[in-house]
Amino acid sequence: MLALLQGPDALSAQALELASAGRIGEAVGLWRRAVEQAPGHFPSLFNLGFTAVRAGQDQEAAGWLRRAVTANPRDFNSAYLLGTVLARRNETDAALRAWRGALALQPGNRKLMQVMSVEYSKGRYFAEAARMAEAALQLAPEEQALYLVAIKARQDAGQHDEAFALARRALAKFPASARANFEVGFHLHKLGRWDEAMPYFEKAIAAEAGYEEPHYFRGDVLLRREDFDGAAGAFRTALEKRPDYTVARLGLARALMAQGKLEGAVAELQEATRRDEGNAQPYLLLSQALFRMGKTEEARVAKETSQRLRTARPEAMNVPQARPFPQ
Amino acid sequence: MSSWILLWVAGAAILAGQGMATQGAAAAARTKPSGRPFAVKLVDVAAQVGLRARFVSGGETAKKYIVEANGSGVAFVDYDNDGWDDVFLVNGTRFGAGSVGGNYLFRNEKGRFVDVTKAAGMGRVGGGNGACVGDVDRDGFDDVFVTYWGANVLFRNTGKGGFRAAAWPDRGEWSTGCSFVDYDRDGGLDLVVSRYLGFDMAKVPLPGAAANCQWKGAPVFCGPRGLPFGGLTLYKGKGDGTFTEVMRREGFYGFTAVAVDLNEDGWADIYVASDSSPSVMLRNNRDGTFAELGAETGVAFNEHGYEQGGMGVAVGDFDNDGRLDLMKTNFAGDYPNLYRNIGGGIFEDVVMKAGLAVNPQYVAWGVGFVDFDNDGWLDVFQVNGHVFPGLAGEAYANPRFLYRNLGGGKFEEMGLALGRGSSRGTAFADFDNDGDVDVLIMNMHEGPSLLRNDSATGNGWLQIVGPGPGAVVTVDAGGRKQAQAVLSQSSFLSYSGRRLHFGLGKAGKVDGVTVAWPSGRTEKFLVEGVNKLVKLEEGKGTR
Repeated sequence: MLALLQGPDALSAQALELASAGRIGEAVGLWRRAVEQAPGHFPSLFNLGFTAVRAGQDQEAAGWLRRAVTANPRDFNSAYLLGTVLARRNETDAALRAWRGALALQPGNRKLMQVMSVEYSKGRYFAEAARMAEAALQLAPEEQALYLVAIKARQDAGQHDEAFALARRALAKFPASARANFEVGFHLHKLGRWDEAMPYFEKAIAAEAGYEEPHYFRGDVLLRREDFDGAAGAFRTALEKRPDYTVARLGLARALMAQGKLEGAVAELQEATRRDEGNAQPYLLLSQALFRMGKTEEARVAKETSQRLRTARPEAMNVPQARPFPQ
Repeated sequence: MSSWILLWVAGAAILAGQGMATQGAAAAARTKPSGRPFAVKLVDVAAQVGLRARFVSGGETAKKYIVEANGSGVAFVDYDNDGWDDVFLVNGTRFGAGSVGGNYLFRNEKGRFVDVTKAAGMGRVGGGNGACVGDVDRDGFDDVFVTYWGANVLFRNTGKGGFRAAAWPDRGEWSTGCSFVDYDRDGGLDLVVSRYLGFDMAKVPLPGAAANCQWKGAPVFCGPRGLPFGGLTLYKGKGDGTFTEVMRREGFYGFTAVAVDLNEDGWADIYVASDSSPSVMLRNNRDGTFAELGAETGVAFNEHGYEQGGMGVAVGDFDNDGRLDLMKTNFAGDYPNLYRNIGGGIFEDVVMKAGLAVNPQYVAWGVGFVDFDNDGWLDVFQVNGHVFPGLAGEAYANPRFLYRNLGGGKFEEMGLALGRGSSRGTAFADFDNDGDVDVLIMNMHEGPSLLRNDSATGNGWLQIVGPGPGAVVTVDAGGRKQAQAVLSQSSFLSYSGRRLHFGLGKAGKVDGVTVAWPSGRTEKFLVEGVNKLVKLEEGKGTR
């Protein structure tokens, strides 16, 4: 009753107290009344947006936060939060627009620059992603995560030389880091410099025993050297650490096929199809292994499954690196 | 729109939804140069020896439709049987330009060329694509089939220095590759024709109008993705120069079609490089039918299972193991494929290991396995050229590459000055009969290049003529067995003549020649001496 007599500031203050006591529904009611009285009442708009975000009501949150940003264009938090909500809704362009507003208010916010770089990449604005990541890196050259974001941005942009240079810089800064060693090895491997890549994979393995990805790439180098037993061992180690690591299982199957161990290869590939059933690639290799065994009809069926998945689930073929990049 | 949005759009590399299959591949590192001498020099003598022509293929500064982009094939064909390879150039045209364009035929007069197009009746104007060659009526003179966007044409050789265009059904299709092949071993040549895509100008969107009409964010012509698939048609020859359609397959963007026995069972198979779709391997079932086994045999995709923008195909035994291997060129941002035949017609892609993955930035077209220095190992020659003229940051004319075969499955790029162009079809033959292989190249909106091989290696060689399309000849010399095939088409929509050329290195003699004839018969021949052309006839060898 008292609240009816109060203005938007008092309503908002009372709502904050209720929210602190966990009485969110009542608080929201008061904030709504506040904005009915004063449609541009920034604290109420922001808090309505914030509580909607916490409740997972992104669409409603975006509406309140847009109004909050309009009411107070100098507020960083509302712009940042609006960008976050929009990114979650896959509204990349709108999210980036909101974040650019936030960054204008806090030009040195490297965490924001990091998330913006990732979002630029998602929107396929690769040049912007790279520029943003490296600007963040200049502000905080001691943060390994920023190197990785910058590497990813350059990789996505197809700028492999720049990505490689960043990986080398990261390694110079963090010589004991498993990830930094791996990134250098990964880029050397991509360039076909397999022998040079090998020590970096081995250092990455030594630095972090549970790191599966260097084992896979080590196996790939051994496969190219036609050390099929060694390759199979490396792939198996990668799979022990992560049994659903499809490309490692494909590598193991390739090593077995190269040794003529077709039944073993087929068993691994069938396991891969069970664990990653939407992926066309295990079926493709399975068709090749079965064909080599003379099982042409089974090979045809596997091929047709592969073709169907290739069309139906093309995204399943895009193999991300085993360890995600920072978001 | 605020200024940052303008900058943002201009600076962004939007790679989604392009019309071509591309992988964003980085150039693989080059190995340390071998330092071994390579006494090969290739000099462009086209104008000097009389090869003056101009290729037409739609707009020169911009291309509105994909039908303007692909250029055409070239051919070395000894149409008058005088022992000197003549030159046939397939040509395109321009929309609404009347009689602009038209094919060319040049007669080879001991190394100099005379334009005989008009007299020979070969100057048809149209959207020409590819050429394949074979003696369809068994009169001893090679006939030429030319594919078009529109009605294809079989140019029947009169044997009197000219050709007579034979009618071919016009289905309004866009044909590209073709090969004559005796797939049923009845002694007569049959014909396979690949089709690129269904192109209807009234329905194709304009540049930039759809997701498949962009390249790195810039508006470009649409396709091939998003446009109706082409496919392949097989025609059975009746032996009199006429044909009947017996098989039709759809579902891919077909380019170069090669026809040869790739699984050593004595029956010709068919391989088609496909753009932005799985390449096609048709295994001959020996009963008049074929099974599509591209995926199973490892030649439909790259080593990671991805579709590629396939253009040209070379066939040859690069590792001298007696089996025919394949090399396929692809669109920019991707490596070519070097498919090593590991037996039974099963292949593995060894392009990275071989050192041929060092120039993925170019759209690659014509390609050949050719022993330029006669050392007994097939080198690789590849031409390149972009499809989008005038695109910022992308050169339309590109360099050519010669990769020298080091043996052991390794190649090195020689960095030779080979000229540049937006090149497409490429053919390989010894046009000046001096014992080494020369190169003929189609260049978009320019004249052809004729790279004369001025090598001074001192190595021996052997040329063999006689076997027809689909025959596989193996030469045993110097402890090596080299296999080569007579192909009615290879490279990019091109024909390299009937003569097979074998480098012999320092081997002073040939230990034996084996011919697997298209009939299924295999014969051995004794050849005395080296540095010569030998004519072989079926039935004259020993089984």
